[in-house]
Amino acid sequence: MINPKDAHLKPQPMPDADSEIYWRGIQEGQLLLQHCLACGHVQLYQQAICRACGSEHLEHRPASGRGKVHSFSVVHRAPGPAFKQDTPYAVLLVELQEGPRMISAFVGADPSAVTFDMAVELVCEPADRGVALPRFRAI
Amino acid sequence: MATPPASASKQTIRGKTAIIGAGLSAVGRVPGKSALALAAEAAGKALADAGIGKHEIDGVLASSAFASPFHRFSVAFSEYLGIQPTFSNTLQVSGATAATMFNIAAAAIAGGLAETVLVVGGDSLLTGLSPDLALRSMTESRDQQYEMPFGIPVANTFAMTAHRHMKEFGTTAEQFAKVAVIHREHARRTPGAQMTDPLSVDDVLNSAWVTTPYHKLDCSLISDGAAAFIVTSAARAKALGVVKPVYILGGGECYTHEHIFLMPSLTTTGAVQSSAKAYAMAGCGPKDIDVAGVYDCFTGTVIMMLEDLGFCPKGEGGRFVEDGQITYGGAIPCNTHGGLLSFAHSGMPGSLFHFYEVVNQLRGNCGERQVAGAELGLVHSLGAGFATNATTILGTEATL
Repeated sequence: MINPKDAHLKPQPMPDADSEIYWRGIQEGQLLLQHCLACGHVQLYQQAICRACGSEHLEHRPASGRGKVHSFSVVHRAPGPAFKQDTPYAVLLVELQEGPRMISAFVGADPSAVTFDMAVELVCEPADRGVALPRFRAI
Repeated sequence: MATPPASASKQTIRGKTAIIGAGLSAVGRVPGKSALALAAEAAGKALADAGIGKHEIDGVLASSAFASPFHRFSVAFSEYLGIQPTFSNTLQVSGATAATMFNIAAAAIAGGLAETVLVVGGDSLLTGLSPDLALRSMTESRDQQYEMPFGIPVANTFAMTAHRHMKEFGTTAEQFAKVAVIHREHARRTPGAQMTDPLSVDDVLNSAWVTTPYHKLDCSLISDGAAAFIVTSAARAKALGVVKPVYILGGGECYTHEHIFLMPSLTTTGAVQSSAKAYAMAGCGPKDIDVAGVYDCFTGTVIMMLEDLGFCPKGEGGRFVEDGQITYGGAIPCNTHGGLLSFAHSGMPGSLFHFYEVVNQLRGNCGERQVAGAELGLVHSLGAGFATNATTILGTEATL
């Protein structure tokens, strides 16, 4: 639960036992995907079992970091005070080259530049309070 | 007329239970009333409508409330009402909770866990939230790890589906706006509705952006309000001599994902499966439905649901709305009370208002809003960026 006194702070990812390796990868500039050694399924996010076949034989491999915009929405009314100064900003639903989709944010240009199927690449720069987030810019 | 189903499962709730009472609190801006008080107002009216006393209720199902954040709202509410039920639960699958409560009430009664269940939901989102609870209601419904750090409001998940619908099917902003306009026209005929000023397509398109492609007037309201229902066995409804019981004919649910990025398709939802299950159980199809309550948290949501509930082919929801098919004289009058867009939206209880309207349509109680000859009704509740979908089909005695 968020305290009103912390309302100006952006929510930060809170890694758990499943996702610790993912967030460590992001801090090191890599987007790790889980590849199932039993069935070949590729998944985001990290968890203890393959969502397709249930196998526990999963391997973390860095993604290419390239993808395209499957959908997006430019936020004009922020969800709480922490994001108010950022509006308008584009939230992206990126489809990675490897298949999985992820929620992210658009950086590096005006949000009005975002279009459907636009090619984008990963940027892992420190964001709020020095914590890196996987965001995307146009290629 | 509907015929008994050839369902995959031999078990069915079809026709075994009936709604015998419905109550609505004041809705809209209702200051000075807690969520519990609003729920008690609605429950009192539902009991009076059913003609039974509170001690005749042996089950309570409730949605939780942001403004009265009890972990066990149904239990807290039973205490507040002064009853000690022998069956109770607080349900939380976001906006889909309303229809799930009817499905579960019917199953509990048919299975012998309870005989008479109070289904109730109330919240005070407009005047009852302290700043910390308001913030919590805005941010906590998305995942803190993979979604919230990117500043994704709840509206954003729905906006991305609507945006993709525009891209895939050529649905237009004007068609979205038309949904809001029709809902407003309906609300203008509904006593107590929160928004009754005339509304035009241009008004919607000229209202401020919230999150593209949605403007402020594409978004549902924030309200106070509660609704409550008495559900009992068909046998007890008969014994009580209820004049117009409304039977629960079928129910279905579907949960396709939690994170919006794992939604299998942004433009086809779990409403396809939940409604297919409900239709099969009820023994009818979309063409048989006379009146519908379709969750309308955003304008585009209605367009997608018209397709997934089978009222029109995939991709044609926008044109269907434009052609006047979701109002009087059209193929399927929807949300004749004005919906979440113009009647009221107090969070999880919001979809109970759709039930209140459809129940009253099937009882022939809707006056100038009455859909002539309404015998079969459908309510579809959904939530969390289409993560949760639940459908309930209701009918009059003639549909049994």
